[in-house]
Amino acid sequence: MDYSEAAERISRKFSFSGQAVDVKKIEGKLRRLVDEFGVQPQEAERSVTNELNKEFNIPAAGSGGGGRAGSTNEQKKIAEGLPGDWVTIEGKVVALSAPASPSIAQSGIIADESGAIRFVAWAKSNAPAMAEGSWYRIESAVVDEFKGVPNLKIHSGTTIKEIGEDRSLIPTPMPIKDLHTGIGAVRGKVIQEWDASHERMLQSGLLGDETGTIKFVIWKEPGREKLVVGSVYTIFYAQIDEFNGRLSLNLNTATIMQEEGDIPVSGGESEVRGSIVHIAPGSGIIKRCPVEGCNRALSRQNYCPIHEIQPKFVYDLRIKGWLDDGEKTHNILIQRDVVESLTGITLDEAKQIAENNPLGMDEVFLQMRDKVLGRYIICHGREIDGRLLVNECERVKFDASEHAALLNRAGGAS
Amino acid sequence: MSTNPRDMPRREGAFEREPARRVFASELRECRYQFKEGEDEKSPTFVLLPTGERSNRIFIVGTLTEKSRQGEQNIFYRGRVVDPTGTFFVMAGSYQPEAMQQLARIEPPQFVAVIGKPNLYQKPDGAFMNSVRIESITVVDKDTRDLWVLDAAKQTLDRVDSFNAGTAPDVIKAKEQYPTIDPAVFRRAAYDALAQIKM
Repeated sequence: MDYSEAAERISRKFSFSGQAVDVKKIEGKLRRLVDEFGVQPQEAERSVTNELNKEFNIPAAGSGGGGRAGSTNEQKKIAEGLPGDWVTIEGKVVALSAPASPSIAQSGIIADESGAIRFVAWAKSNAPAMAEGSWYRIESAVVDEFKGVPNLKIHSGTTIKEIGEDRSLIPTPMPIKDLHTGIGAVRGKVIQEWDASHERMLQSGLLGDETGTIKFVIWKEPGREKLVVGSVYTIFYAQIDEFNGRLSLNLNTATIMQEEGDIPVSGGESEVRGSIVHIAPGSGIIKRCPVEGCNRALSRQNYCPIHEIQPKFVYDLRIKGWLDDGEKTHNILIQRDVVESLTGITLDEAKQIAENNPLGMDEVFLQMRDKVLGRYIICHGREIDGRLLVNECERVKFDASEHAALLNRAGGAS
Repeated sequence: MSTNPRDMPRREGAFEREPARRVFASELRECRYQFKEGEDEKSPTFVLLPTGERSNRIFIVGTLTEKSRQGEQNIFYRGRVVDPTGTFFVMAGSYQPEAMQQLARIEPPQFVAVIGKPNLYQKPDGAFMNSVRIESITVVDKDTRDLWVLDAAKQTLDRVDSFNAGTAPDVIKAKEQYPTIDPAVFRRAAYDALAQIKM
């Protein structure tokens, strides 16, 4: 097969933009792709073109930047950079984070008045190291997308100059319900702290403001501290990721300021009324892993999925089940103090039952089931991942006025 | 403790549990049409209520008036649960071991709450028979029974109202399947049930 024609085409393309390329070399690359790797000739031509584009830092056709000739050095506000754009920006490095891989020289967040963006400087780019708190002019960088979040890529064609700016940047916090993936600022209260689900995790929990709630995560890293439950924080430059359709705040890059006082938090709280139609296995008295920060439920053999056999477990009460209002069934998880008041069985009594009964822990399950199954209750709590975590619960009482209203309704209209 | 996969919530979150409808005995008794949604072996089966709502599961509270043990090799229990409008025939077999044990322990008469699956049978003589396969049955107090009567009355009235509005697909299906039934009788039944609660 003859590759000279295609090679000629490619070389002509590049001589337009003033780049001299070796036709023989291109031909060799094409031959290799087609003959050795069975690539379709068209695809091979495209791939070689792209490779050269990269080599000369020319935006590839179809990646968004290509259509706008001369946009390469156009200076932009950070917030205006869209994936595919080649941009030149001026901004302040507001956070640096540990590179996730040896091929990354530096990563962090750079911000200006319009917004902030995560940047990655590849080791191959030989970019000068930037210092947190300093301002830089970054020319010919590429905005791309990583895990749905815009990302500024610093490659070998990017030039970085420190500039003598010293403005202070104060981002405006956004309501939690308006947050989207990227870098964001919020002001919220830590309303829950969750058990760490990973040993590298320092803390995770729920942050709320009047508009809603969002999960946050802090990974273990020198200098990172836990947030205090119940405190209000203003957080700049948090990374907002999406996982399984839910947003989550990564605070490792963030600037966090604790505030005095309190703010109202309303989001997430819901009320469900219905009857309990199922109590799931794993309800009643359970054993939890005693390892600090673990707290997982143990199997019957006292086995923790992470910490293995734990003979010094801690007892706890919970009810997992379904609350049904006739239209929809809600998955509920009732925590200990609510279980105690709902069933009238305290943790100590449950321990006694479990230890002095031939059926052991099953006996607690059965007694609790008989006390709550089929009963009408009203549950208050927060809905997380389709499950209502019940923090308050009461039995429905017979309401004579409702009775009268229903009698009227049934007798009236027909 | 339950090891019955039927009792386990399948892949929590991903799956939507069928709600338990509140229906009086006088309405369930009239069901003549049962259908399956989807081709899958595990697809849920629904009984179409004459008020125009599909039901894969029901929640009833009434008085267990009698129970009996039947079968030699395959033991199962039958029971009668009475509400203000009529009688539900309930049963639990060896495929519902927990429900069977629960029912076996209860000595009638008692107020009971039953969660179960409605089933429609046709007897050899052509007559239809509705029964409820118990998922769980527990003894409850009179307050719970009264709350259920309010709940069942309210939901029956809601269904009658949307039947009269007449646009939902299941309502249209019900009108086809039960051409002779006037849902006004269920409104009347709800009234009678409510009237039986002493103030």
